Amino acid sequence: MTGPRVDLDSEQMGRDLVALVLTVVELLRQLMERQAIRRVEQGDLSDEQVEEIGTTLMLLDQRMKELCEQHGVRPEDLNLDLGPLGTLLPRD
Amino acid sequence: MTQPSDAQVTSSSAEAAVTYVFAVCRSTRATSALDLTGVTGMPGGEAVRLLPSGLLTAVVQTVPAADFTDEVWQGRLADREEIERYARAHHAVVSAVATHGPVVPLPLATLYHDDDRARSRLAEEADRFHTALKRVAHHAEWGVKVYRPATPDPAAAFEEPAPETDGGRARGAGLAYLNRKRGAQALREKRREQALDVAESVDAELRGLAAASRRLRTHGAALSGDQRVHVLNATYLVANDRAHEVGLLVRALGERTGAQIELSGPWVPYSFVGEV
Repeated sequence: MTGPRVDLDSEQMGRDLVALVLTVVELLRQLMERQAIRRVEQGDLSDEQVEEIGTTLMLLDQRMKELCEQHGVRPEDLNLDLGPLGTLLPRD
Repeated sequence: MTQPSDAQVTSSSAEAAVTYVFAVCRSTRATSALDLTGVTGMPGGEAVRLLPSGLLTAVVQTVPAADFTDEVWQGRLADREEIERYARAHHAVVSAVATHGPVVPLPLATLYHDDDRARSRLAEEADRFHTALKRVAHHAEWGVKVYRPATPDPAAAFEEPAPETDGGRARGAGLAYLNRKRGAQALREKRREQALDVAESVDAELRGLAAASRRLRTHGAALSGDQRVHVLNATYLVANDRAHEVGLLVRALGERTGAQIELSGPWVPYSFVGEV
């Protein structure tokens, strides 16, 4: 079954492309964040390393929020419905 | 959606007609006495009528071939209002027939070249139709949707303004950020597990009551604009003499689990007639 009628509006397409790129970036950011949390939980990082990783991820998070604001993309727009697999990013 | 249609109308002229099949039921006295004057069927079609063939009777309508070509359907599928109009028309016929006895609804847009083709299909598939009719006789379908109540974003509970000193690079800010995220992640996982547990126990209890059940895909917020998290979408085939238990069980489960459970039905058992 096809979705709602496709409207070939170049401005909309531009926005959709930005949202898609940001979604992929957000996915990578979340994956890194989870990996970092896992490593912190394993306890094989020094305090300095934890601090550095945490700061980096925090700045990335802030930067993502700024980018979303600049492009008028809401955080909940950053997702893809993968059909039976659910959504690309956790919805909650 | 299976379309066992053989009428891939390509060469027919504009006036050509095809046979649209809504449903199949047994050729009983109740069936032959069916009053179909109130149902209009597909827009643009002739009167809805019965097409008996041995022990089975199809509920059919002659429709203009040009209105039901593949291309026209493709266009219709892309238009939510239009497809709803056709689906409702289809469902109205199926429901009218179902009030008189067991019925096997056919998928939307099941078309045959003419009555003879439709009849021969009934004969070929007679066994399967009889099996399906036996399964759904005196049963109805009930839909159950379980939602986890909308909760504030787990991250928000842990969100605190980042220390602004030194451009957000205050000592310990990185560690605090990671801890916040860790807490939010743990909470999110706990909630998800709880929701899945609720879904499983609701499903298990209802299966105890049902003759058959099917789990369908849960739907995201995109289509309905619903912000609640949908954790179970299932449908159950329940004997009519146990129908009153469904409502009671759903209410009891809702109180016990705290989840929002939506019950719909009774429906014509669309989900339990197999791939006919």
